[in-house]
Amino acid sequence: MANQVNKLAYVDSKLGASLPGQQTTRVIYDSVNAVAGQGFYEFFTNFAGKTEFQTNLTTNKLDSAESMVIKSIQLIGNFNGSPTPANLANHLNLNVTVGNQVVIKDFDPSFNASNRGLAFDRLHSGFNSSQNLELRLLTDIVIPPQVNFKATLQLSDAVNVALNDDITIIFKGYGRIFSAGNSF
Amino acid sequence: MGMSAQDKMITVANRLGLTSLKDMQGTTRMVYDSIPTIQGVHTFFKGASQRAFPLSNIGANGNQFQVDEALLVEKIGFFFPTAADGISYNGCGATGLSVKFDLVIGNKTVIKDATVELGGEQAFYNDGAVASSVIDLEGVGILIPPQVEYYVVAKPFANATRSADTARLGCYLFGTGALLNFNTTI
Repeated sequence: MANQVNKLAYVDSKLGASLPGQQTTRVIYDSVNAVAGQGFYEFFTNFAGKTEFQTNLTTNKLDSAESMVIKSIQLIGNFNGSPTPANLANHLNLNVTVGNQVVIKDFDPSFNASNRGLAFDRLHSGFNSSQNLELRLLTDIVIPPQVNFKATLQLSDAVNVALNDDITIIFKGYGRIFSAGNSF
Repeated sequence: MGMSAQDKMITVANRLGLTSLKDMQGTTRMVYDSIPTIQGVHTFFKGASQRAFPLSNIGANGNQFQVDEALLVEKIGFFFPTAADGISYNGCGATGLSVKFDLVIGNKTVIKDATVELGGEQAFYNDGAVASSVIDLEGVGILIPPQVEYYVVAKPFANATRSADTARLGCYLFGTGALLNFNTTI
């Protein structure tokens, strides 16, 4: 069975992008600042005016010699609505698209939020809360070099989203970054 | 060495003549459905195309996967919507209920009279300090092939007294999936 390393090498090779690179663990993230009542969020499509802690990308694709596997997806909410703040423990709808291909379709990660005995993971951390959840994928999904990608998230309790609430999405997994190998 | 989830998907699909499934996009997939009516018997996924998000995520295609999409069910969980709108929900621990269920794929009952017991799987299921509402399927899992209808019939009951009960109820099927990928220009 292919592991993350083999899968990444295989896909990159198929796409003709099998350059040697530095192996790494890659984390990419994007944060969206909400308006009141916002129920639909699009990540990795707008980078204007964001700080280095809100996103660590400047475009919605990896560099020409970079690629990664999406193995974990984390969602972090900063919800301050009153009297009831929104949360990630109510039903969600997550889609991830790489290129023109939907790779995660209509997925509800809210079952991994908080501690209700409903998590997908056999060994599920008690630290997961209603505003911070992580999902470990069963398959390795590759973001190849120079292919655009995005994620969309729909919240069921949008009515409780307040102005300036934040939602951050984080992709984590094995990756490859540019290594010159020789001197320029 | 045991068979992996991907191996099982491809093996079963090949036996069914679905030889192109191996070329599709691998994914982690889950489908869920919930019925906010308080009742003693629930049939999930059948007719779920009428239940929009957040009650269900299966969409207009209904209780079958489209061409070259499939789900290898590896876990089944039951949850209890807290209100008729279906937005929020709890696990078995909040209600003291367990759930007896059948899983039917096509004309075949593939899981029969099984239960998800409140607090079951304690030997290996750690969800903080809360009892599990999930059953892990033994072996590799069960494949729901494309274009075959599936549904779950479930009955809530009191975990300790073993008496029938009524509740709002929901069900999810989680596992390794395949999404349609044309692999060619169209």
